[in-house]
Amino acid sequence: MAASSVPLHNVGGCFSYPRREREYHHGRGWSPPPRARYPFRPINASVETPFPLFQPPPLQQSPSQLEPADPDFYKIGYVRSMRAYGIEFKEGPDGFGVYASKDVEPLRRARVIMEIPLELMLTIRQKQPWMFFPDVVPIGHPIFDIINSTNPETDWDLRLACLLLYAFDRDDNFWQLYGDFLPSADECTSLLLATEDDLSELQDPGLASTMRNKQQRALEFWEKNWHSGVPLKIKRLARDAERFIWAVSIAQSRCINMQVRIGALVQDANMLIPYADMLNHSFQPNCFLHWRFKDRMVEVMINAGQRIKKGDEMTINYLNGQQNHMLMQRYGFSSAVNPWDLIPFSGNAHIHLDSFLSVFNISGLPEEYYHNSQLADNGDNFVDGAVIAAARTLPTWSDGDVPPIPSIERKAVKELQEECRQMLAQFPTTSEQDQKFLDSMPEARRTLGTAIKCRLHRKLFMEKVIQALDIYQERILF
Amino acid sequence: MSSLSVNFPYRDRCVPAGKSGYNHLQTSFVGSFPAGILQVRVGLNKPSKRANLFPCIKCEKKEEPFEHVSVERPPYYSYMDSTSGQLEPASGARASIPGEEYWPEGTASRVRAARAPEPTGTSEGSPSYGKTPGSRRKKYKTAAAAESSQVSVEPSDPVVPEIIEEIMEDPKDFSSDYVIYQTKFEESEEAGYELDKKFGRPHPFIDPKVKKPMEEPLTSEELWWNWRKPEKEQWSRWQRRRPDVETVFLKAMAETGQVKLYDEHPTLTETSLYRARRHLFKEERLKAEQERLERIGPMAYYSEWVKAWKRDTSRNAIQKHFEETGEDENTQLIEMFCHQTDREYRIMMGTDTRIRRDPLAMRMREDQIKQIWGGLPDEVIDYRGPDFHEPTPNMLAHLKEHGKIISREELEKILAKEKTEELEITDMDDAMARAVDIGENEEDEEDNEADTEEEEEKITRNWSVLKSTPQLKKSKAKPKKEDPMSLEEAVEDSENLTDFLMDFEEDE
Repeated sequence: MAASSVPLHNVGGCFSYPRREREYHHGRGWSPPPRARYPFRPINASVETPFPLFQPPPLQQSPSQLEPADPDFYKIGYVRSMRAYGIEFKEGPDGFGVYASKDVEPLRRARVIMEIPLELMLTIRQKQPWMFFPDVVPIGHPIFDIINSTNPETDWDLRLACLLLYAFDRDDNFWQLYGDFLPSADECTSLLLATEDDLSELQDPGLASTMRNKQQRALEFWEKNWHSGVPLKIKRLARDAERFIWAVSIAQSRCINMQVRIGALVQDANMLIPYADMLNHSFQPNCFLHWRFKDRMVEVMINAGQRIKKGDEMTINYLNGQQNHMLMQRYGFSSAVNPWDLIPFSGNAHIHLDSFLSVFNISGLPEEYYHNSQLADNGDNFVDGAVIAAARTLPTWSDGDVPPIPSIERKAVKELQEECRQMLAQFPTTSEQDQKFLDSMPEARRTLGTAIKCRLHRKLFMEKVIQALDIYQERILF
Repeated sequence: MSSLSVNFPYRDRCVPAGKSGYNHLQTSFVGSFPAGILQVRVGLNKPSKRANLFPCIKCEKKEEPFEHVSVERPPYYSYMDSTSGQLEPASGARASIPGEEYWPEGTASRVRAARAPEPTGTSEGSPSYGKTPGSRRKKYKTAAAAESSQVSVEPSDPVVPEIIEEIMEDPKDFSSDYVIYQTKFEESEEAGYELDKKFGRPHPFIDPKVKKPMEEPLTSEELWWNWRKPEKEQWSRWQRRRPDVETVFLKAMAETGQVKLYDEHPTLTETSLYRARRHLFKEERLKAEQERLERIGPMAYYSEWVKAWKRDTSRNAIQKHFEETGEDENTQLIEMFCHQTDREYRIMMGTDTRIRRDPLAMRMREDQIKQIWGGLPDEVIDYRGPDFHEPTPNMLAHLKEHGKIISREELEKILAKEKTEELEITDMDDAMARAVDIGENEEDEEDNEADTEEEEEKITRNWSVLKSTPQLKKSKAKPKKEDPMSLEEAVEDSENLTDFLMDFEEDE
């Protein structure tokens, strides 16, 4: 499946804080950008505060709407030796989130905020032979054969979904209790649960067809292995296809791929980690995941040198270096400020890379552009992930010391803007219309809302690119 | 741990200034405290005025508040402990725990995990155990129910802040070294049972309010002291302990209702009891039998096992018979036993295992029988092997055919042949003796005189001797030359062709 072959080892997005491990992917939902800025260190991907020209969509998870989660949520983990230090689990209209309950001074050392033991997780190896924590070994259970019949490299989400459903069925399993806090089928934003009109609302035929293929694949798998002649033990795991597809969507969006060392074996494991999957995504995360080999625990750690105020949201980078449609496919959310988004420009117009970067004070190597706020004038909130993405996706030329010729530059800029406008015009709706549509129906289905947001973000991104080109034009130094 | 906090900002100034009040203050302070402790605080209005007048040395960090900590040192370093009767240090019974730098690996995280406070707060929902995922999340989405959900959310809001769990990394009251005394007394309400208990009045052992009714006694499988290990883990029933004969019998008896056991399986006590009773009963029965034998006489007794003996076996009849025929009891017994069949005999002797003697065993079920004796009594054991379909060959002929066995006559023949081998050898030697020496071996001119006198046979055996004596050869060669035979005669006469090898060198 195309979606599953996501390149996990991405050089890009290597942020400057010392991270011990890089590839952590888990999905719960995406939160709006953190409100605080970090004046003391260069912000890596982008400043995520909204640009004042465009009225940002109202932050659905404003602090007033956040409520602390059910106390049982932490209690069921605490009893099983999971620990959370200095954080709270809060729930808002968009779902769960992890927030700091006290200020954290920037330390040289990364600090642990959560530790989750291996016993609580559902893990499966991404290669043959599959190894998993003994408690959830379904050896006598017919689901063992079903899982074994899949290809571990490509069907990892189906395997995890089977494991999840099996865990729901076992009487003493933690996931029976934790499942109550997972998003139900009507709250889950994954497009696997989307209907045909939701997919058509995407206004992206490629993504729609990919999602249809994925849905088809999951459905076929269910039909093949849950046909009517199957024993009751299997049948009661997923009585209908919707439950199975929900499980697949959960598995896809909340799966974390980690290199895990257990004993002497280092394995690429797909893991469903209970509390760490409530962390939301950000392109400028303040946390990362670490596997503690000694007692087999996953630690969620705050980046070293990260200053955190009380009430800040703890975020992780789910998927590094991927465009919006990949995020959408896998996790069911999109972002207007994805610094890795791409626009397929055709034509010969090129702008000068160095002057573009200097106009917006973007520094760093192409894989790790960041907004250098020390150079920038204070109060410049324009540069965010979209501008960085623009720096990457706009066709540029750079030839050592050769200076750009102003007239050619202006012409190139105009051409590129024209292309963007054309692409925008090809969409059936404009971004304002999308925004209005979203505001007008707050109780829409989750998947519909997600689809509309996806296209909205795409349009916003393009509009931002146009804007950035405008500003570039004004500020070109000659 | 005592800390000296001395604040004498204007000490040097005040003294020459001659502020008597301050001096008094100073001295009075010094005088009132015990030696070793100086705690002087001069925090009056004066400093602010003084600051303008006098340059003073102040601390660099202005904002840092002064730590006013005073912990009184105990007046003694050690004391005699009344509990242990030994000298004990006042400060603590053990050395201090080393700091975090000295902890072994992983201790810090374990300590942190242990210190993390437990979550407080009770939840309103209840788990669905996998049936309805997402049931305990707060649902914000429904618009129609938005109003009602808002209403329902708000009343829970005052509840919610109380339920907020503060999950801190370090516990709060960690560094209070003081003992807190209770200033107000708690009044504990006790009534009824507890009052009785407190005052020593007669009361039942268990609080009647708390008392739980007695449950059903557990079965022997559930009892924790049941030492029997379950059989389920073995992969085959053959691995279980084989039951005792007595246990099986006892169980069978319990099943038929002859004996009452506490549980379905007899215990050791019950088994030994059964064994004792059986022994006693057997003795009783044997005694009864013996007594019966004595009473009715052997003829009558043993005629039970001789069905064919129809005559009267009472003592009188035997007596009469004796008088008639003069056969005494033993003879008559012998006569009777001549009519006994083999089967009857075996039954009487009780040595045939195929004939059941035990009345209980006759009534036992097949599986019970198999338990003890491992099979049915009338079973025909099949020793047929894997190549059963092939007829068993006649081993003797088979072996003979393959030459593995020979008959006794052949064996004797061979043995005899071995003996006559010697003569054949001598014949051979003769022929060899007649052969002409080619002269391969070195000839010694030493003649053995003794050998020449020996018989021909003996000489021919010592082949080397023969070679070394030319006279003999000459005597042998002569007849050859004297009687020139025809070729055919010579060939017939010779044993082999070596006869025709002429040794000319020797002759000449």
